[in-house]
Amino acid sequence: MNPSKGGRIGLYAYGILILAFLYLPLISVGFASVSQARYLSFPIRQYTTQWYGQALESDTVSDLLWISLQVATIVTIISMVLGFFGALAFARYHWRFRRLYQKLILLPIFFPQSVLGLALLMWFNAVGITPTWHTAIIAHLVWIAPIATLIIAIRAYSFDPALEEAARDMGCSTWQTLREVTIPLLMPGVISAGLFSFLLSWGNFPLSLFTTGADLTLPEWLYAKMVSGYSPLVPTVGMLSVAASIVLVVVAFAVSMLTTRFKRNTTN
Amino acid sequence: MNLVTPARLLDEKAGVSHSGAPPVPRAMTQTQPILRIVDLKKTFDEFTALDSVNLTVDDGEFLAIVGPSGSGKTTLIRLLVGMEEPTSGEIWLKDRRIDDVPANRRPTCMVFQSLALFPHRSVGENIEFPLKIRGVDAAQRRARALELLDVVRLPQHYYDKRIQQCSGGERQRVALARALAFDPEILFFDEPLSALDFRLRKMLEKELKDLHQRTGKTFIYITHSLEEAMVMSDRIAIMKSGGFEQIGPAEEIYAKPKSRFVAEFMGEVNLFHTRDGAASIAFEDVSIDPAVAKARGLSPEFKGYLMARPESVRLLAAGEVADATADGVIESEYLLGSRMQYLVRLASGYKVTVELSRENRVSWEPGARTRIGFDLDRAHLIQEA
Amino acid sequence: MERINQRLGALSALPVVLFLAAGFLAPLIVVAAFSMMPQKVFSLANLPDFSSYAIMVKEGYWESLLVSLAMALAATLILFVICWPLAFAMAKVFGRFTLVLTIGVVMTLFVSENIRLFGWVLTLMKGGLIEGYWRTWTGQSFDGLLYNVPVIIFGLVYVYLPFMLFPLAQGISMVPDDARQAAFDLGANRWQIFREVELPLAAPGIMVGCLITFVLTAGAIAESKLLGGRAVIVISDEIERAFTYGQNWPLGSALAVTLIGVVGTLAIFGVSRIDLDAIMGRRR
Repeated sequence: MNPSKGGRIGLYAYGILILAFLYLPLISVGFASVSQARYLSFPIRQYTTQWYGQALESDTVSDLLWISLQVATIVTIISMVLGFFGALAFARYHWRFRRLYQKLILLPIFFPQSVLGLALLMWFNAVGITPTWHTAIIAHLVWIAPIATLIIAIRAYSFDPALEEAARDMGCSTWQTLREVTIPLLMPGVISAGLFSFLLSWGNFPLSLFTTGADLTLPEWLYAKMVSGYSPLVPTVGMLSVAASIVLVVVAFAVSMLTTRFKRNTTN
Repeated sequence: MNLVTPARLLDEKAGVSHSGAPPVPRAMTQTQPILRIVDLKKTFDEFTALDSVNLTVDDGEFLAIVGPSGSGKTTLIRLLVGMEEPTSGEIWLKDRRIDDVPANRRPTCMVFQSLALFPHRSVGENIEFPLKIRGVDAAQRRARALELLDVVRLPQHYYDKRIQQCSGGERQRVALARALAFDPEILFFDEPLSALDFRLRKMLEKELKDLHQRTGKTFIYITHSLEEAMVMSDRIAIMKSGGFEQIGPAEEIYAKPKSRFVAEFMGEVNLFHTRDGAASIAFEDVSIDPAVAKARGLSPEFKGYLMARPESVRLLAAGEVADATADGVIESEYLLGSRMQYLVRLASGYKVTVELSRENRVSWEPGARTRIGFDLDRAHLIQEA
Repeated sequence: MERINQRLGALSALPVVLFLAAGFLAPLIVVAAFSMMPQKVFSLANLPDFSSYAIMVKEGYWESLLVSLAMALAATLILFVICWPLAFAMAKVFGRFTLVLTIGVVMTLFVSENIRLFGWVLTLMKGGLIEGYWRTWTGQSFDGLLYNVPVIIFGLVYVYLPFMLFPLAQGISMVPDDARQAAFDLGANRWQIFREVELPLAAPGIMVGCLITFVLTAGAIAESKLLGGRAVIVISDEIERAFTYGQNWPLGSALAVTLIGVVGTLAIFGVSRIDLDAIMGRRR
């Protein structure tokens, strides 16, 4: 029934091929970022790290980083809170409008982001708000808060509702049940939702494009440089942005590994 | 705060009951009712899950509520612990009406089917949980948790174990200890043994009965397994489509069921319906001498079933007599371990189940004619509703 | 408990519902309102008309919509074929490698799609990774692979692969092994198992995957701009241009409403037929 040995090897090879396919363009960007030539052409003849030096010293780049960082951080915090409660309503409690609510949560995810960005731009204009990076936070949240909700909901689905009932049965008030049982059990979901929120906000372009006004986030600046002519800083800043994401993911993994190990050690 | 003092726990462990009287089977003692249910009704939209049930449970009793799935037993227990609210009716705990008291303020506790042990807490923390919620300080909590580990016969070092490291049987005991922690008035059980394998289940059934005797608590246990109910409980309540069909000691329910449903639910049974239009009382499939029927006091007006459990029916030797008899052919034989079961097809086509102990096994050939019979004092009449 | 659940459910839904009402539904209403304004106004304080829709039909903007929908369909079909074997392997064959793949694929989502598409530009352009090394090794040169319709579809397939892969894998993991083995035991071959057992049982995952891919690719813009060099104009591009170069919000809004109308109908239809609880693994 299950694939033969040859078939399994084929599937593994296919998986590796797809991964390679997904990462190939990043390899190109990586090569481009260390090419000496001002006008890139493969094969690369001379390698240099000067662009990294320039990028790190550039005030423009540090401004961009700062704005992107602020947006992503605030988006992360808000979507963790919205997502936590949103997920309880999504997965845990039976209430009258739950089905309708679930659909409302899905719609922004099933929506072309550039159109959403424009719609928000018009909405801000209609209510008289001047777009800055603050408004981009709202735009990002429209898309990211539902995603955070879904991620936490997956966790909420997998825990036994009897745990909360048992807590109540043993005397917990609603708030105590939340604090003693629900929050600790959903915490891994909340943390991964936070990680997703940060990274999705950090890399988002279509929503930022229309909603940051005069401010620029990192992806917007990259896009502007890409379409208006090549700059050797584009691949460099791109790689820096990717590196920042990787560092964050690695740190998150390391922390979660360490805490599980720590827990295991203290209880044995 | 109603904590069991260590002294009282020791009494319990030594098997000393509080009145000082020797342990008596619970059903025999006349105690005040701890729980009274009056006309309790629960509907979900169109569906009536529980239809005006009444029940009284004595203090210290072990009551099993048995019924097929969909009979309303889960709804009943959820109403009793306060997870659901009744549509109408009353629940009284001693002198206090509790049907509108939320679950967290009821002095009752439930052991869930899934056990609902908190995976993010250790064994000790699980047991202490209800005490922590009630603001008991850490040292007292720990002492109590260690006592309870003893009560459920788990070693003390399990205090620090993680739930994931416990086996199925150990988890049962942790759940039990947790439910006992705040000394609830009544312990409810929602089929907690159903997921275990046969041997472990048998062992825990006996332990649970033992624990009931040691703690003197009122246990209310729902299950779909009759065997489980019979092993453990003082009284059994049989549920059918949202109501009680019969409530009584296991022996009574087995031997004297009030309805065909109960008779068939309580294991294999042979049922013979009264024959209509006969001059005196007569049954389908079996013949009874009218004189014997009269002598045994069978009323000619009776309408319903004559019930004989398989172990009351015999395979008659030539010349052997019985109150009720019929001719038939042995169709098949099954070995049930300590007993033998025979399926005998009567002339009418009705198949009678006969059980003998294994030593009395008969040799037979397919198609061999035989006679079955049973005496009326070992049979039971079920009046038709 | 059910009364508490009702209350807690509504209460915990409240923040995100209020937020989406203000940040999602309200903007959509504004777009709909703007689409009925006269040409080139920037405020809703005008008498409504349908001039934008008339222009849309007359000046052939609907062709862009068709182009976008056609490319979305192509990308969705290609992605289904590409992702099925991998999704199957992730759900049923790979052990730990599934985790590696999942992390590997999810990580790419965190890199701005600009950067990834830019990487493809560097890879595929004349003098890029492929052509450059090909030229060095073989001495033969060829034009870059960019700026045509297939490369746009390629870009869509590339960017939206995770959106097909994960729902499919989730759907396939809902197919019980027993059912597949029983079908095999009853004499079905690999193809029959796929058609008679896996496809229907994995249907919710397939539906989510195809729907989300189609909807997102239909509204995609960066692929055609960066890789396609405007070999064709997609609908989102028309919308953006109406807003920016055209300074014609009502026309842009009318185009947006039309796009939303098409994909929104599909999305709502699809979403309403999915049992989310089942897909996401509800216990009870």
